[in-house]
Amino acid sequence: MDNKKIETFVVPIGPQHPALKEPGHFEFTVDGEIVTDATARLGFVHRGMEKGVEDRTWVQGLYLMERVCGICSHVHAMAFALGAEKLANVQAPPRAQAIRELVGELERIHSHMLWLGVAAHEGGFDTLFMLSWRDRETVMDLLELVSGNRVNYSANVLGGVKIDISAAQKDEILKGMDFLEERSRHYMKVVTEDETFLGRTRKIGVMAYEDARVLGAIGPTARASGVARDVRVESPYAGYVDFPVNIQLSDAGDLEARFVVRINELFESYRVIREILEKLPPGDLAARMPRRIPEGETISRVEAPRGELLYFMKSNGTDKPERIKVRTPSLCNWASVLQTAIGHKLADMPMILAGIDPCFSCNDRMVTIKTPANPDVWDWETLRQFGIEYYK
Amino acid sequence: MNVTFPPLLALLLFPGGLFLLVSGMVFEYIDRKLIARFQNRVGPRWFQPLADFVKLLAKEEVIPTGTNRILFVALPIVALTAALTAALSVPLFGFKPVFSYPADLIATLYLLSTMTLCIGLAGANTEDRFSIVGATRALTQLFSYEAPFLLALLGPAIVLGTWNIGEINQSATNTLWFIVSQPIGFLVALIGLMGKLELPPFDAPEAETEIVAGALTEYSGRGYALFRIGRDVELVIGLTLISAFFLGGFTTPLDFLWKTLLLLLVTAALQSLFARLRIDQTVGLWWKIGAILVLVQLLLIILGTQLSPLVSRIFGG
Repeated sequence: MDNKKIETFVVPIGPQHPALKEPGHFEFTVDGEIVTDATARLGFVHRGMEKGVEDRTWVQGLYLMERVCGICSHVHAMAFALGAEKLANVQAPPRAQAIRELVGELERIHSHMLWLGVAAHEGGFDTLFMLSWRDRETVMDLLELVSGNRVNYSANVLGGVKIDISAAQKDEILKGMDFLEERSRHYMKVVTEDETFLGRTRKIGVMAYEDARVLGAIGPTARASGVARDVRVESPYAGYVDFPVNIQLSDAGDLEARFVVRINELFESYRVIREILEKLPPGDLAARMPRRIPEGETISRVEAPRGELLYFMKSNGTDKPERIKVRTPSLCNWASVLQTAIGHKLADMPMILAGIDPCFSCNDRMVTIKTPANPDVWDWETLRQFGIEYYK
Repeated sequence: MNVTFPPLLALLLFPGGLFLLVSGMVFEYIDRKLIARFQNRVGPRWFQPLADFVKLLAKEEVIPTGTNRILFVALPIVALTAALTAALSVPLFGFKPVFSYPADLIATLYLLSTMTLCIGLAGANTEDRFSIVGATRALTQLFSYEAPFLLALLGPAIVLGTWNIGEINQSATNTLWFIVSQPIGFLVALIGLMGKLELPPFDAPEAETEIVAGALTEYSGRGYALFRIGRDVELVIGLTLISAFFLGGFTTPLDFLWKTLLLLLVTAALQSLFARLRIDQTVGLWWKIGAILVLVQLLLIILGTQLSPLVSRIFGG
């Protein structure tokens, strides 16, 4: 017997797996049911969008960046528009900023309710999954009502927004908020009182305050560990200056706390949406934007439903951006998953994984290193060709 | 109803055999539809279980490398056979059991467990890691619910002084329903049946978000179809047993129908009420709560049956 060779039993999750809605690959080394090691591998859905935007005008880029994520499409467009406006020294009118926040908060509601359902499904609680997705239809309908679309709302233009809120729409939204608030109260009761569900969430996947800071966790994941990090509060953008939101924190750091924080954020969203509709500033919807953006670089930060979304934008003075770098929130939270996974049961893995509300395809990047053998900088066409050849 | 069927007819068509398979599908449909309605979904159409079954039968059966081919093909057949054999001693649809012998309760319960055993073996037979984890969980679950389930069903048997299912069914119609005198036994038996059939919240052995389809991950086509239909048959037999024992038994098909369907409604509600239990929680639940409660009840029953003649001799004398 070769004693030195330690037998390990690895359970692979993904790239295709019922627990994953997008392709990612995880390997959990288990000892019986206990996980002793976890690794993640991403990069199955690289789409070359950062490169793609360099070949498009600023206006076209707005529409491309909106498609980075299907769930938080509005914040991507908002981050891009805010950055471009900063570079061009254009200030969007207050009504536009308020509508940006309004759509952003509606989107947060739909994203958090989607997450609630997915997380419940990962824990085998399909009834909560079905019911929360049924109620989520309310906010999806509201988004369709104000923008005409359910997924890519396309509310932003460079310099403002292109949708307005009419009195009839206002009434509909208020009615929807009342309904959703009542349902959210019910869900809060379920996630904090249901015994079997608490058995799957309480004291599971605990991330202490220090860990959350060291691992650089962001968004509701960090806030559930007591880390007060929220771009909307730290450095208000768009309408958040006039219509501030309160940060939602919890000290527990376990899965239950992540449920509680997200549902509390729902209540905060309902409140701020009512406030915006009440005091929607009058005025224009968009300011005039130049076609060529002056040379310069900037950083645009917004709070996506999953955490801080960061855009680095560089303009070379033409009508096309020189470089756009997107850092999506899920990327920052992966380390926290791999850290908290160890020591837990295999059965807890899907919920811990879902606990950060992961979004896979938005954080896949490709890096080529410039070497003497590979001296060229790739352009969009080369990247496209590479992709076609790779998957042939 | 004291109708005696010719053996061949009973085996192949009614009430065992083909008719049992069809009623298994009907029960599966009702179960799925009820859960769907509880979850505010539309649910399947009435022929969906049959369509699933036919589709699976028509599909190619892939036998993965690294498995024992004979076992791989034989296990689903053994599982279904065991379930159908178990049906012989059960008063299905209110008719007298086709094949009855003393203490057939024990044999029937073992035949019902064969299914889980087959699923466990099927999982361990393949090299798939999801299957192996699923098989481990299925067998762990078997060891946790089996003893309390058996003890719960023994309650009425001990009181009535017979371990023959047909006789228990007959006598149960004349006494107070055992759900009243042995509520713990009823609950444990019903929940035990859900554990046996790996229904939510006891579906850890096939938790799709963790281990895909558990022990049956590698099964496709015919093998999978047989396992599924076998489970449907077990659902019918299990509900029959529990309603015969605890809901006052039945002598007519009508009695049978409303009692089993009532139980099905209860299990469907239970299935949609809870989040999935982890396998360690399942084991804890059964051994820490289920087994102890049932043992206490069994002790009380034995004391009661032993003491009551004594008491009546002293006071009634």
